Amino acid sequence: MESLDDVIDAMIADKVIHRHRRKWLIALALVVVLAVVIFFTGGWKEKQGRKVDTMDAPVTIEAGRYEVGISKATIWRTPKTEYSPAKSRLEVELQLKNIDEEERASHRFDSMLLRWVIAGKDPVQPAGVSCKDEIGYVLVYGLPAETCIAKFDVSPNFSTDMTEIGILAETYKSDSGLFGATDKAYWQSETAVAVVRVPTTIETETDE
Amino acid sequence: MKLYRPATVLVGILFVLLGGLTRLAGPDQVFEEDNRVVKRGTIGQAVPYGDSTVTVHRMKFARAYLTGETGKKAVETSGIYVALEYGTVQGTQDISSPNGQLTTDKGTVYLPIAETYGSDIDFPAPGFGVIGSIIFEVNPADLKGLTLKVSNLQLFNVMGQDVAIDLGVPDEKIAQQQIDAATPEYLIAKSITRVAS
Repeated sequence: MESLDDVIDAMIADKVIHRHRRKWLIALALVVVLAVVIFFTGGWKEKQGRKVDTMDAPVTIEAGRYEVGISKATIWRTPKTEYSPAKSRLEVELQLKNIDEEERASHRFDSMLLRWVIAGKDPVQPAGVSCKDEIGYVLVYGLPAETCIAKFDVSPNFSTDMTEIGILAETYKSDSGLFGATDKAYWQSETAVAVVRVPTTIETETDE
Repeated sequence: MKLYRPATVLVGILFVLLGGLTRLAGPDQVFEEDNRVVKRGTIGQAVPYGDSTVTVHRMKFARAYLTGETGKKAVETSGIYVALEYGTVQGTQDISSPNGQLTTDKGTVYLPIAETYGSDIDFPAPGFGVIGSIIFEVNPADLKGLTLKVSNLQLFNVMGQDVAIDLGVPDEKIAQQQIDAATPEYLIAKSITRVAS
């Protein structure tokens, strides 16, 4: 047998549901409308393809605090010898210039800002960017562009006649002060700005 | 519901008082940044850095540098290199790897070249001193007011100490004279650790 408490509880619950029924109905309708809107605007589908321009080398692009020029790409093949296996590397020639008007500071070019774009695969970061044979070269604000080389590791018999290099740019802005961070601006949050198509030649060199 | 109960009001007043107290605890002097003290000096002067000292012995302009490694050619620049030969003496207070950088009146910041990057200004064990050099690649048209700044990253709740050493380039004319007298090649000497005297 039901106790009086249960009956009263049930009565109260009934009243409460009744009192808020319109709100519930509105909320449900909203959910349905939202679903319909999302359905007709394309849904959650992952975007395919690239959102930035594709250009042909040689080209110079302003990307954040650097001016990046891309002129040529070469695959260097070292045939196998008695003592060492065959190896190969992809070198992309760059003209890097520090145009950091905001901080006017010397800075070493971060290889994170370049990507080798391969269709259907994850983009590849360079193994290193060197200028004057120096890895981690510090680019000086106010000096002309420096010729540098971005190196990518490839398998020994890799070959292609067109390489696509993606360039990322940082923006000079401050973090939101909401979380107690300082409101000083700095270079951060790199985003893709362009993809450059570089004709690629294959050359052979021998280890001395 | 009563909004302004005495306890609520008291807590409010407490917060206002706490705000005032933190103002009292702040430093009396006004600095460029409120948690750093800058010690200034010139070439040849031992500038205190904590209880250690930094001295710039010599500044040289160069068109290329050599590392002294066999088989490595001189590295040239489209700008100019500034080589600073410095001496440090370490006191008992710990100094966590300070960076050296050059600044000019226009606000340009030059960092050491990759070759001497990271081991910028060396401080040895307490009671010892180091004589070393750092090289900067700079823009020859932007040298007025060249100053060496030595600083390190520090927690914001500690009073930081920076060193600013004026390198004696008051105007572009003097800078040009220095550039004209630049050595064709500068050999980066190995740093030497010695007993502080």
